[in-house]
Amino acid sequence: MTHSFFGGVYPAVHKEITRRKPMARLHQTPKEIIIPLIMCADGPSTPVVGPGDPVTVGQPIARRGQTGAAAHATVSGRVSAIEDRPHPWGGVSPAIVIENDDRNELYSGRMIPLDPRQIPLDQLLERVETAGVVGMGGGAFPTWDKLSRSAGRVDTLIVNAAECEPYVTADYRLLLERGEHILRGSQVLARCLGCSRVVLVTEGDKLSAVEAVERRLRRRGGGRVQIMAIRTRYPLGAEKQIIQTVTGREVPPGGSPVDARCAVFNIATVYAMQDALLQGRPLTHRAVTVTGGAVTRPRNLWVPIGTPLRCLLEACGGLREEADRILLGGPMMGIALQSLDAPVTKDINSLVCLTGWEHKPNVPAGVCIRCGKCVAACPMHLAPTFIRRALEDQDLKKLSRFHLEDCNSCGCCSFICPAQIPLVETVAQARGLLRREGVGQ
Amino acid sequence: MSAAFAPKRLSPQQRQPATTQAMMLDMMVALTPALGMAVFFFGPRVLVLTAVSMASCVLFELLYRGLTRQSVTVGDLSACVTGLLLALSLPASTPYWVPVMGAAFAIIVVKQFYGGLGRNFMNPALAGRMLAGTMPILMTTWPQPMQKLSLTAVDAVSAPTPLSYLHEGALPPQTLDIMFLGQRGGCMGEVSAFMLLLGLGYLVLRRVISLRVPAGYLGTVAVLSLLSLPEGVSPLVWIAYQLMGGGLLMGAVFFATDPATSPVTPRGQVMFGIGCGLLTMLLRDNSPYPEGVGWAILTMNCMVWLLDRLGLPRRFGVGSFASTRAALAQVRANLAKIQFVPPKVTLRLPERGKVPGEAHLDQLRSLFKTYGPLAGVFLVTCACIFMVDRYTDLDTARAEVLAQQELLAQAMPQAAVGAEMPYHVPGALSIVTGYDEEGQVLGYCVQVQSQGFGGPITMLVGVDLNGAVTGVAIVSHNETDRVGTEALTPQALNRYVGRSGTIRHSGSNSVDAVSGATATSKAITAGVNRALNIVANLNTDEEDMYEDIH
Repeated sequence: MTHSFFGGVYPAVHKEITRRKPMARLHQTPKEIIIPLIMCADGPSTPVVGPGDPVTVGQPIARRGQTGAAAHATVSGRVSAIEDRPHPWGGVSPAIVIENDDRNELYSGRMIPLDPRQIPLDQLLERVETAGVVGMGGGAFPTWDKLSRSAGRVDTLIVNAAECEPYVTADYRLLLERGEHILRGSQVLARCLGCSRVVLVTEGDKLSAVEAVERRLRRRGGGRVQIMAIRTRYPLGAEKQIIQTVTGREVPPGGSPVDARCAVFNIATVYAMQDALLQGRPLTHRAVTVTGGAVTRPRNLWVPIGTPLRCLLEACGGLREEADRILLGGPMMGIALQSLDAPVTKDINSLVCLTGWEHKPNVPAGVCIRCGKCVAACPMHLAPTFIRRALEDQDLKKLSRFHLEDCNSCGCCSFICPAQIPLVETVAQARGLLRREGVGQ
Repeated sequence: MSAAFAPKRLSPQQRQPATTQAMMLDMMVALTPALGMAVFFFGPRVLVLTAVSMASCVLFELLYRGLTRQSVTVGDLSACVTGLLLALSLPASTPYWVPVMGAAFAIIVVKQFYGGLGRNFMNPALAGRMLAGTMPILMTTWPQPMQKLSLTAVDAVSAPTPLSYLHEGALPPQTLDIMFLGQRGGCMGEVSAFMLLLGLGYLVLRRVISLRVPAGYLGTVAVLSLLSLPEGVSPLVWIAYQLMGGGLLMGAVFFATDPATSPVTPRGQVMFGIGCGLLTMLLRDNSPYPEGVGWAILTMNCMVWLLDRLGLPRRFGVGSFASTRAALAQVRANLAKIQFVPPKVTLRLPERGKVPGEAHLDQLRSLFKTYGPLAGVFLVTCACIFMVDRYTDLDTARAEVLAQQELLAQAMPQAAVGAEMPYHVPGALSIVTGYDEEGQVLGYCVQVQSQGFGGPITMLVGVDLNGAVTGVAIVSHNETDRVGTEALTPQALNRYVGRSGTIRHSGSNSVDAVSGATATSKAITAGVNRALNIVANLNTDEEDMYEDIH
């Protein structure tokens, strides 16, 4: 337990706003559910229903074509249209719009629950693909792909419950309330992937969840599962940093976790896989934290995927004061929301509405005083201030030596900079410049 | 729609609260305990000096930025920090114009000429202080603590600092707890180790500085001070004195950690601290000055670019071994690229049977323009050296110096060095002060003339500080051989050694005249008497005795 990652920062967590609020269902299911066809980082899915078709809860409405993931109806009703709707990632994308009939009829052709003791790998992959599970921590990468690539080649399975982003508590509530399912799911996964060690990583500020899981582990005998509570430090939840913290191995540049013989799954993803394998339910709901100083009653919600974000806000009493920034995901790496009409997708874990006094002041960048805090904070061993200097000089040769492609945009450098220099953007610009000029790589 | 449709991430919407201004404010807060202790020890003069220093730093910054039409940057408080540091690194008895001069140098030359905050390569406050330190009278008087200095006049009683004892390899008379609390001579800010450590703790807790530089610096000094450990002193006590003596703590906490002039990379910061420690100990042990912190830090400031390169963090996911090997391979590749390219000097000669063309002349002209000045300087230098060698009669000069030394050895055998003094006393041709090897004054050699039998006799009479003759040497004389020279033999002259007062020819305190050379003997006795008289009346303390010969 002596490993740790280099650098990192300590943002104010603000998790006390919602950490004691149990996950609640919406009182009023939305009138309209919007399921974007872009559900997954590798591209759009292919719809299998047309306008006017009746659908029930759990019925497949889109499948994986060349790209994309399967999608399922999350309420019962009728497909009203397949048209362009706002997407939470920005812009618009084609989406299946379902008109809700408030009857919540279940789909008849449900998947059969599998026996946890004997699940062959191909059945696991097929089931995960059918259930439409993607990375739910924000990456939205297809999970079956990751499973098939890591099967047999990893020795450590890491279940990532380190919710290092400030404000967000969705994963914490999930671990606290569905701990049993998550433990069972991770055991099944470990058996299928051939891992000798399963580590559930949480941060030190989630001790009640840690205690609950430990009690469960003691009662049933943990086997290869263990839980690790690590001192809160951002970005512990980043894939490479969590691997380094748990195993001490570093993912080589340009490599994937498989190169470090690890597989990292978000806790929500593990829960969704467990649901698909052992309960036979496809991925239709997820936990979302609605929080921030501008929200009247911040809370954790268990919502159908496709619910417009406006409904989420209404369920929390709306905004009590004007929100300066509305973010999807935490304030460190979150996506700026462009329209509240965008729906909840599979990778969204929070809606953070920040008031003016909560987020960073909009002051102009000062001059660099060479304090070196960005270098000491970068968990990817980069030197942002030198990158900025080289970008100012347009020195491509120097830029190509700074390993810009390693940057994971965690934002530590911008966060820590006392002169308020937007270093993350600088690094991104430098990367763009290098790509345009075709130097390096 | 393609895979390029990816979420647009923002840079963090949260910020750590500390801004540049807040960091500077924290620096001032951390210096406040040391300032308070200085006021307690040296009186309100400290406050006035500090105010003068800070105000002049701010004014010079305003002035420069205003005159060059640049944005006003006083708001970042860095000028205030510079002023405060500059004041605290001066002794409390400094005249008021010294911090003003230091501030002008620090702000205008060191900071603003290089582009302002963050671009200066030397610590402005330290550079200003070292400039003031080049004035020896100002910076070597250390007022004693608890001696309240008046606001206007500088009437400090100079006290040796503990460091000057350490420099000699002895323990200072101050006990360790006095060193810790600061009741000792020194600069205003550096006296109290306790208050400086308070400041260090505050800065580290507020994350304004990291411990890398101070720890590297103090650790290196602690280890290296064991090399000069005197006999019979406990190593821990010696280390404690070395760490608390002089400006080390102040330098390590406030000067070496200055963000703009210390390395950016964490490993570079550690190396910077170690380098500062090495240089400090080198200067402390092997220089005529007891303290070396300031020069050590300024020197290391100039090495920052190198340490930044050496200290770049290794790439994530590449092991230390692999990255070291890659770096070595890179160095080897770079070295392999170095090769000697002989300069191409090709003179296009005219072809046989043809008149040289315009191009040939042009080429000759350009060659002359390139190499002409070089050749000219070379020739002039050679000519100078030749002329000097030709027209300087080095042998005569050497012989003169040797003769002088021999005379001195005769007149004052104990003295190792003689130095002519700018005293002008009637009757004496010149006065040479004799020093021993350690530089202590032994006595004076007076050159006098008196009338002998055959002409004037010039002699050098050595007189020690007790007024006794140490020896008599004859510089020149015109006495006839066998008549006067009897009195000039070493035996005859040695009779004067040890005499003092007025020497007579008979009776008490007398030197008998040598038979056959009475006139010469009397002349020598008269000369010695005059020399004794001159030295007895020589008042070296009074200013009006000084009179430049030239």
